[in-house]
Amino acid sequence: MSARKTALLALFTTLSLAVYAIESAIPPLVPVPGIKLGLANIVTLLLLRHLRARDAVFVLISRILLSSFLFGQALSLLYSLAGGLCSLCVMALVMGILQKRLLFLTGAMGGLAHNLGQLAVAFVVTRTAGVLSYLPFLIVGGILTGLFTGLCAGFAGKLLAPLLADVS
Amino acid sequence: MKENISWRKPAAVIAAFLLLLSTASLLYLLADKGGADYAADIFQDGVLIKSIRLSDVSETGTFTVQGENGCVNEIEVRPGSIAIISADCPDKLCVRQGFISDSKLPITCLPNRLVIRLRPVSDPPGTAGTPDAVTVPDAVTVPDAVTY
Repeated sequence: MSARKTALLALFTTLSLAVYAIESAIPPLVPVPGIKLGLANIVTLLLLRHLRARDAVFVLISRILLSSFLFGQALSLLYSLAGGLCSLCVMALVMGILQKRLLFLTGAMGGLAHNLGQLAVAFVVTRTAGVLSYLPFLIVGGILTGLFTGLCAGFAGKLLAPLLADVS
Repeated sequence: MKENISWRKPAAVIAAFLLLLSTASLLYLLADKGGADYAADIFQDGVLIKSIRLSDVSETGTFTVQGENGCVNEIEVRPGSIAIISADCPDKLCVRQGFISDSKLPITCLPNRLVIRLRPVSDPPGTAGTPDAVTVPDAVTVPDAVTY
């Protein structure tokens, strides 16, 4: 890994951490645990689109570890990891199928996978079938927020492509 | 040029899948059960600790539920509705949700592992707990885990 790429990935980790921090300062729009914009996902999508999957994994895990140490509880680490990794796997797959086009579709699938992953963890943690009643909310929420972050990543990608082009 | 078009079909399939899934979810959420009586099942750590028939509640009452790691939720019951009115968890999402009376969305306090779920009284109580051991009680029955 070149020094330039290391620096760039560190920069993106910082960026996603900052976005995450700003987002957590916004009061939740809907009183449902797990429904939030997931703006940090924009960074994951950008890296998947313009660099390699393993770069995205690296930045994602760094961001989750750092944000848990800085703001979170032990439990939120588990939720974030489950959601983030589910989302990343699905997005990598979908992005491959769609040949890096229509980022909003990839984002929507990622948002969906993120929420389903978190719900699965919540089910295991609370051992209550009741949390499954959140399923319809989380499906709709995940798809909508994913569409949004996907669109954002599409626009951001156009601006940032020159920066990312010569390190990939 | 043929490879360039090969993404269109999967894209349509994915879009259709997402549309179908969200439509189904929305339909499910909008479908109402037509003025059924509800019972509130209160689960802690997946165990049904209390079941209250909301239509039988005649006056407002509060009680607190204490978790094994010392976290506390205060629950208020009114005729036909129930809410968590205070909690010592960090995000207080459960309190923000307010009173529910016919919601399909349970009140969940994830940090304290507490779930309050409404179920039409015609359905059997509890799914994750021990259904046979639980008789649907009147609102006065207070198990050991609950302190007034």
